[in-house]
Amino acid sequence: MKPGKVIGTVTLGHRDPAFRGGRWVMISPMGSDELTGKNTSGVSPQFSLVAYDDLGAGVGDEVLYVEGAEAMQPFDRPIPLDAITVALIDTYKYEPLSQ
Amino acid sequence: MILARVNGNVVTSMGHNSLIGRTIVLCTPIDETGADAGAPFAAVDPLGAGMHARVFITTDGSWTQDTFHDDHSPIRNQVMGFVD
Repeated sequence: MKPGKVIGTVTLGHRDPAFRGGRWVMISPMGSDELTGKNTSGVSPQFSLVAYDDLGAGVGDEVLYVEGAEAMQPFDRPIPLDAITVALIDTYKYEPLSQ
Repeated sequence: MILARVNGNVVTSMGHNSLIGRTIVLCTPIDETGADAGAPFAAVDPLGAGMHARVFITTDGSWTQDTFHDDHSPIRNQVMGFVD
């Protein structure tokens, strides 16, 4: 699981039948600077990604997402998916040790 | 498997069913000197790690599905132990 911020949604026209009814969000991964508030731009320098979402995440929401083969685990049959939102973050605390 | 330091936690009320009642911590990977090295990530913590504890984390999704007794859980990361 990684923390990320929803920065947009993606709507597909033609799609693989396995994805019918799916909702897609664009996520910017949150690194240390984003979690501690040093970077307030809302977008991190890391590559953004598109993830399947069945939680109803909206633009600006902070989420936890999973990448990899486990992303398709919630589905009854294998589908070509490798990123999914797994939780909407209500609050978080992140205080790295000062070094 | 990852050596990491617990740098915070996450509170969530809306998520995959397999996360209900579970503690989620925010961790940062550490290098051989114990310094933060890498992007933060979240992990389920069944052991109750304290703030800034050094922990050992598995990224094995199938093991997590076994321990959660939920074949449909997409969760991968779990705290497996504390580093003395």
